[in-house]
Amino acid sequence: MAINEPSDSLPLADVFRAANELVAAGLIEDWALGGALAAIYYVEPFTTYDADIFFISKDKGLTAGVPAISSHLQSQGWQVEREHLLVRGFPVQFLAAGGLAEEAVREAERIDYEGVPAKVFRAEHIVAIAASVGRAKDKARIEQLLRQADLDKTYLENVLQRHKLKLPKI
Amino acid sequence: MKPEMRQKLAREPFAEKIRKVAQLIRLAKTFPRRAARQISGHPSGK
Repeated sequence: MAINEPSDSLPLADVFRAANELVAAGLIEDWALGGALAAIYYVEPFTTYDADIFFISKDKGLTAGVPAISSHLQSQGWQVEREHLLVRGFPVQFLAAGGLAEEAVREAERIDYEGVPAKVFRAEHIVAIAASVGRAKDKARIEQLLRQADLDKTYLENVLQRHKLKLPKI
Repeated sequence: MKPEMRQKLAREPFAEKIRKVAQLIRLAKTFPRRAARQISGHPSGK
């Protein structure tokens, strides 16, 4: 199936393969899945409409190499729709990671997804990032992760302390 | 849904959960109002 043909399933393996190619092409240093799909790695599935790929850029300029990433993926058949790049009609956002998110990329869990090596944010980092953002849905995500994921409480406390974060009252 | 059932879903392999997300997206597109009710209370989105 061509990369721009819409798919009924989520083309996550294609997303991970493309992210690995960006590393191989020297456009990014490292990457990991974050956001809602990373949370789903640890909790029950729920509806989400895009994938968030956090990357550590090699380009330390203002654009963090996003234009080069975009043109590389477009040359592979990806399409552009506002802030998203689309693979088989599925929106993917490439987000330059700094601070806590960069730490989350570096310490992400290595997984194998349908034969493709990938990295997913640790549950503790998802909780910490949600605590730093603080919207209602972030609070709900924290609650769900605390209930359903096997969190390493010591690791979480350490991350929260180093980034001066506190869990919201649930 | 009972907490035990939710916990069971949370323990499923990632690929299986991703298949279920795709089903939920299809359901949301076909029956937007029903899907909205079904997922209310879930931290969907980014």
